[in-house]
Amino acid sequence: MVRKLSGLQREVVHLYRSCIRMAHTKPIENRPHFIKYIHSEFGKYKDIPRKDFTTIEHLLRIGSKKLQEFSKNEVKDIR
Amino acid sequence: MFRQLLRTATPLAHRQAAIATKRTSIVPQSLMRYYSASGLTKDDVTTRIVDVIKAYDKSLAAKPISLESTYNKDLGLDSLDTVELIVAIEEEFEIEIPDKVADELKNVGETVDYIVSNPDAN
Repeated sequence: MVRKLSGLQREVVHLYRSCIRMAHTKPIENRPHFIKYIHSEFGKYKDIPRKDFTTIEHLLRIGSKKLQEFSKNEVKDIR
Repeated sequence: MFRQLLRTATPLAHRQAAIATKRTSIVPQSLMRYYSASGLTKDDVTTRIVDVIKAYDKSLAAKPISLESTYNKDLGLDSLDTVELIVAIEEEFEIEIPDKVADELKNVGETVDYIVSNPDAN
């Protein structure tokens, strides 16, 4: 059986989903850049212990700020 | 110049008419058989989802995918991969699955059922 995600894990998943959706609003030729960037950003912290709530909450806040920034229409590409 | 336009215009109109008649003939049948609001048949949705899965990850192309295949166990995707796949499926059917529903989609069959029951999917 698949383990149920904790509330915090769910939040991370939701942030990730919003990020991927944001990538899909960008010009099609640049989408892989966004996806790659999202992968690397989430990948950086994938080994954080599940119980390290403060760090994860902190990263969630930073993540959603960045997402807001990149969601702007003027942002077309990322490197 | 205009003649050329006309020439291209007529087959287009023709095609559109053909599509329109095709649609109307499909909808009642699927309503009867699957009680689907979207006019998509379950088989249709299944093949399209399987195609999306295979396009998403080349290593999955060789794996057998059935309605019972779970994303996590059978397809070996982690929770974030699954999110990406679901978004790809959303794109395919031009819908947005709410977070609450998307969190609960664990296998191909559940996803197919949701798409079939969604009236906006096409």
